[in-house]
Amino acid sequence: MTTTKDFINGLSSKLGRPTPTKAPTPVEISVPQYRLSNTEERVSIFLQNWHALGGKGAIVRSENDLLQSLQEWFRDQPINWIKENKLALLAWDMLPTIAESAFSSLNWPLTRYTQSSLNIRDRYSIAAQAELGVTGSDWGIALSGTIVMNSNPLRGRAISLLPPRHLAFIEAAKIRNNLFEVLHEVSALGTPPAAIEMISGPSRTSDIEMDLSIGVHGPIEVYVVVIQD
Amino acid sequence: MTMYNLTTDQRVDEALANNFLRQATRRATDRLRNNKYKAADELGNWEEWRGAGETIRKHVIANLDYYLNQLIEQMEKRGVHVHLAKTPADAVGIVRKIVHEQEAKNVLKSKSMISEEIHLNHALEKDGVAVVETDLGEYIIQIAGEPPSHIIVPAMHKTRQQVADLFEPIAGHALSSDTPTLTRFVRLQMREQFLRGDIGITGCNFAVAETGSIVMVTNEGNGRMVSTLPRVQITLMGMERIVPSFRELDVLLNLLARSATGQRLSSYTTILTPPKHSADSDGPEEYHLVILDHNRSEILGDELFRTALNCIRCGACFNVCPVYRQLGGHAYGSVYSGPIGSVITPLLEKDWKKWGHLPYFSSLCGACSEACPVRIPLHDLLVKLRMRKTQSGHTPQVEQHIFKAYRYFFSREKTLRRVLRIGAHLQRPFVRNHRISGGPPPLSNWTKSRTLPMVAAKPFMQVWADLKNKR
Ligand code: SF4
Repeated sequence: MTTTKDFINGLSSKLGRPTPTKAPTPVEISVPQYRLSNTEERVSIFLQNWHALGGKGAIVRSENDLLQSLQEWFRDQPINWIKENKLALLAWDMLPTIAESAFSSLNWPLTRYTQSSLNIRDRYSIAAQAELGVTGSDWGIALSGTIVMNSNPLRGRAISLLPPRHLAFIEAAKIRNNLFEVLHEVSALGTPPAAIEMISGPSRTSDIEMDLSIGVHGPIEVYVVVIQD
Repeated sequence: MTMYNLTTDQRVDEALANNFLRQATRRATDRLRNNKYKAADELGNWEEWRGAGETIRKHVIANLDYYLNQLIEQMEKRGVHVHLAKTPADAVGIVRKIVHEQEAKNVLKSKSMISEEIHLNHALEKDGVAVVETDLGEYIIQIAGEPPSHIIVPAMHKTRQQVADLFEPIAGHALSSDTPTLTRFVRLQMREQFLRGDIGITGCNFAVAETGSIVMVTNEGNGRMVSTLPRVQITLMGMERIVPSFRELDVLLNLLARSATGQRLSSYTTILTPPKHSADSDGPEEYHLVILDHNRSEILGDELFRTALNCIRCGACFNVCPVYRQLGGHAYGSVYSGPIGSVITPLLEKDWKKWGHLPYFSSLCGACSEACPVRIPLHDLLVKLRMRKTQSGHTPQVEQHIFKAYRYFFSREKTLRRVLRIGAHLQRPFVRNHRISGGPPPLSNWTKSRTLPMVAAKPFMQVWADLKNKR
């Protein structure tokens, strides 16, 4: 078994010098980054790109707007799902206020993933049987139509992964221009969370004769609601 | 007989005779290449991005000892088990031991070229462990018992009917060969597997030294499944796959997604900083990182070839290579095919006898170097590898004799004149339109698919001498 010290020293000798004790000076990076001038533009480009990837999305300014979008997208399916499976709508412990109140007005009962079972295996099974996973987002990326979510104890990574549909809420102000800006803020966190998931559209594959096919593993339908203050 | 048992010529003949393979390869590489062009153009000033990519990769490789050490420290500080493997056998041994200790029966894998490099599945299967490749393309070739034919689209060479035929025994009923049916079958089939997996094995696109994070890029979401659901996760990484911090990661993720498939970002980009925090409601509890050398440190110490370690495995060089586009990946015979495969395989495997043909799987047109997002001078490395091979005395005897003869005649003017005169005479039956075609072996090896210029009736030496005399 090689020790770390031997392994690293081996590399240093291949490089023909002792192992540096100080961090190397970082390289200068200057690349032209994509920038838009204001939130409104970012929201619109973000949604445009999200749609192009095959997702559905809407901007809402009030609970009424949100109710309309949800009803348009899901009609009375949630009621039927719940009849079949009480835990069909699975969510983070906390969603933006507007989302919480819309779901209660519609009488679509949300199951909180973290409390759905004490056993982690059972939680996965519950998520796999759910019809819709509902989450918030920490950032959005306009350029690539991406939502970004940090893991934490009140959330759960399986919610945006196992159900066939994923609905994400994002506040307009959280949408950044590009990946660089998001990673810059991730850096500022110090130690990152156990998982940061960046999701750009539904699960896709072109592995069979380069024919694009949606939903091989992850969610088949993805929805995003941009909350505009 | 698997392709591993065939000779290079047999593999090439097989590829050339397989029309579907050749059409599919051309169609797929055209598509990937054009998507890349669009994505690169749109970013604005692609050359600046490439320049940054090149600078970052060179910097990492020049300081690999520092950054690798930093990564290991960060990982261990948080309780990740880091394992260092000098050889593929070491790496396989480490994984087998973990699997054994966990008494794992079901191992799930997302795409990892390292696992192909060390032939991991085979070893685990021999131990009686069920290994499931979860990437659709990898799953197809796993059932077919074949290596990947493209680094990004591993089952590029399979028709949908062949895929349906492979799936049918597993499904236990007939499957129609339309893509949605096949995809749906895999979704249902894999769901059960995902929930049953004891250990998840993933690859690693980048490892961030500063924070001890692993970055994984997939489009299907299988990478997320494999890194979320099993209790234990093992990540396999080549030791060069490092970025210093999130700052550099931005550039490389942009270059990777755009060069590989023409996407702005892949559908799922996951940054793991393992293991899960104690209060987290999901994610693996135990995390192992296996870092593989396998002669990468030799490449690091070899200034001629060090840039080969800069590769970010995007596959862009495959899609523009005239040799790859004609033959597909299996003709190479190696796990890594395409231009970068031809460069790194002889260096990693250190076996000229087995891999000496690879530097010659190139027309040296330079399209690969042009396509490379981190500007690896691939065609130049291929020429240098040919030189290395010759220096190590592994050139075929015929070639050695030809060059000896060349040296002999070209250093003896009179003899050369005489030989050229004889040549001009002997070639007559085979000359058509001033080109030589046909002829006996070994000449026919060349002329069966192209022509040679004829030996001039009046050699240049003579033309030159006459000109001088006229003055
Ligand atoms: S050599 Fe360059 S083009 Fe080829 S796979 Fe590596 S990074 Fe991509």
